[in-house]
Amino acid sequence: MKELVKKFTEGFGPSGFEDSIREIIRKEVEPFVDEVRVDALGNLICFKKGNGGKKVLLDAHMDEIGVIITHIDENGFLRFGSIGGVNPIIALGQRVYFENGVCGVIGSERIEDPKDLKLEKFFIDIGAKSREQAAEKVKVGDAGAFLQTAIDLGDRMIAKAMDDRIGCVVIVEVLRQLKETKHDIYAVFATQEEVGLRGARVAAYGVEPDVGIAFDVTGTGDTPKARTMDVSIGKGAAIKVKDSSLICHPGLREYLVKLAEENGIPYQLEVLESGGTNAGAIQMTKAGIPAGVISIPSRYIHTPGEMVDLDDVKACIDLCVAACQSPLDF
Amino acid sequence: MDIKQFLKDASMAHGVSGFEFADIAKIVQERMSGLVDEIRTDALGNIIGVRYGDTTDPLRPKVMLAGHMDEIGLMVTKIEEGGFLRFTQVGGVDPRILPGHEVIVYGKKPLTGIIGVKPPHLTSREEAARAHKMSDLFIDVGMPEEMVRDLVRVGDVVTFKRQVSELTSDVLAGKSFDDRAGVAVMLVCLEELKRYKVAADVYAVATTQEEVGLRGAMVSTYGIIPDIGIAIDVCHAETPGVPDWKTSSMGKGPALTQGANIHPKVYQGLERAAKELGIPVQPDVAPAATGTDAWAMQVARCGVATGLVSIPERYMHTSVETLSISDVEKAGRLIARFISSVDACFVKELKKWT
Repeated sequence: MKELVKKFTEGFGPSGFEDSIREIIRKEVEPFVDEVRVDALGNLICFKKGNGGKKVLLDAHMDEIGVIITHIDENGFLRFGSIGGVNPIIALGQRVYFENGVCGVIGSERIEDPKDLKLEKFFIDIGAKSREQAAEKVKVGDAGAFLQTAIDLGDRMIAKAMDDRIGCVVIVEVLRQLKETKHDIYAVFATQEEVGLRGARVAAYGVEPDVGIAFDVTGTGDTPKARTMDVSIGKGAAIKVKDSSLICHPGLREYLVKLAEENGIPYQLEVLESGGTNAGAIQMTKAGIPAGVISIPSRYIHTPGEMVDLDDVKACIDLCVAACQSPLDF
Repeated sequence: MDIKQFLKDASMAHGVSGFEFADIAKIVQERMSGLVDEIRTDALGNIIGVRYGDTTDPLRPKVMLAGHMDEIGLMVTKIEEGGFLRFTQVGGVDPRILPGHEVIVYGKKPLTGIIGVKPPHLTSREEAARAHKMSDLFIDVGMPEEMVRDLVRVGDVVTFKRQVSELTSDVLAGKSFDDRAGVAVMLVCLEELKRYKVAADVYAVATTQEEVGLRGAMVSTYGIIPDIGIAIDVCHAETPGVPDWKTSSMGKGPALTQGANIHPKVYQGLERAAKELGIPVQPDVAPAATGTDAWAMQVARCGVATGLVSIPERYMHTSVETLSISDVEKAGRLIARFISSVDACFVKELKKWT
């Protein structure tokens, strides 16, 4: 699994530019499903046929936050906008890379007061000596991702884009383990989550499932002077109650809690005060779909050093497998 | 129908957004069932009562009413050492009104709690100068930590504990009249419809999750596909310190909204119905978003012609929301009258804009 985490997190795919990561995931998932298709927004929708059960949508988003070039100045510096929630304090000094392999570093205009740290004061330096030289390597509209390799700490791993490639890992592992299932499984590796749950919205509309479960990272309150939150890494799968995008279907939530307890899967209940997930979009599809979330607790979300505990990842996989093999008759 | 009794029961029932099924939904379902031909709930917990039209025409127009039954509230985010509960809000709760409040924590069983705060003696001058933030506050249920951990989980919801006060025989103060008053209006309307011959099918929807983003209305409208959607909600009544032009008056009839969210012909129809019944109405203008279910209903599917009828209410989003029963009764009667005027011809006219 560590290898898959490394492969997925190091893949390239800022929101709207998921071609590269989609192919990486497609290759891993294809052996375990009956059908794979891609829709107009680039969602990778994998179908595993069941036998007279429900239509179950499993969702993880494959896009990541990043940058997009808006202007190349005469000296070859690249001005950029953010794709998704990029925090300036964290962005400064980071290395970024583009899909064609070109790398650069984020520099800043002279700033006297840290309050003035804003993305509009930043630029990417790809080592070009002039506009022309820069234009040979990149162009306006090219998207970039943060450049970081995944690090194995033993039980825990650090990587960029753990949000939400770790969710993608969970679903791939679930499909690997699910030999036969009663339910029709639609595994959606969604695009454009970081810019407003956009991929999931249309994927769910197309699939129109009976139940939707999203897999995404959630914050924790287990670091020094952290926000008040009763989720820690290493304490199991987080079964979401609420975030800004949805209040999870109470029946489904309790059903997952019961499954976890019956199967001895470590879990914690999660209330995330700010931030949303694809389940919010899934729930609001058409006349409404019961939706829930199994979250992977993660520290330092939206930084290039997102940390997860692999025991939690395993708990999420176990819980999802148990759910797929259960009647889901909440 | 005893409007006052329903308002009291509904106000004191609990049903924080997303958790309506626990209590308020049962009350609404019970009261509505005698007034409709059919009743169902959907995936988001909306209660949908259908009163079929009195004609055999297979192409009867569909009128949807939406009054939201959810209420704002709190949710436990963490159980602290000592058994104190940290919490977040569900919907727009003003943290300034919280200290000293009695609450009910819906754990394994309902627990009475109070919202505690540092005493003034132990508060620095700088701290005292600013209002409490929600993150400074906590709920104390008075039990030892182990007992709290046994009874309360992260994600449990919390409501204000509040008896309805009958300020006068017509004026009530209590929690959650936003928008249980709207639900009451729907019930009055359904009752009233018994007196009319109605061409349209009426879908009375007690919606869920309005306070967290009009979510119930959005999906129920998609499912129903109405021709006309009327939201019933509360609006601000006169309050010291708030200019007249921002408020309506309590006890002087329902407010009818105009603006981009409202189809002009639905507005005119409501106004006409009021005139026919001699019911006073008050103008309300919303240039863009009304912040009500009407905003979600309007853009469902291919679009819905919407109207908005509001009950003037003081102290919205506090536990002493104050309103006049007479406004609720008038709103119900006027909507019933309007519905009785809706036929295929009226619906056709809604798409003629020139």
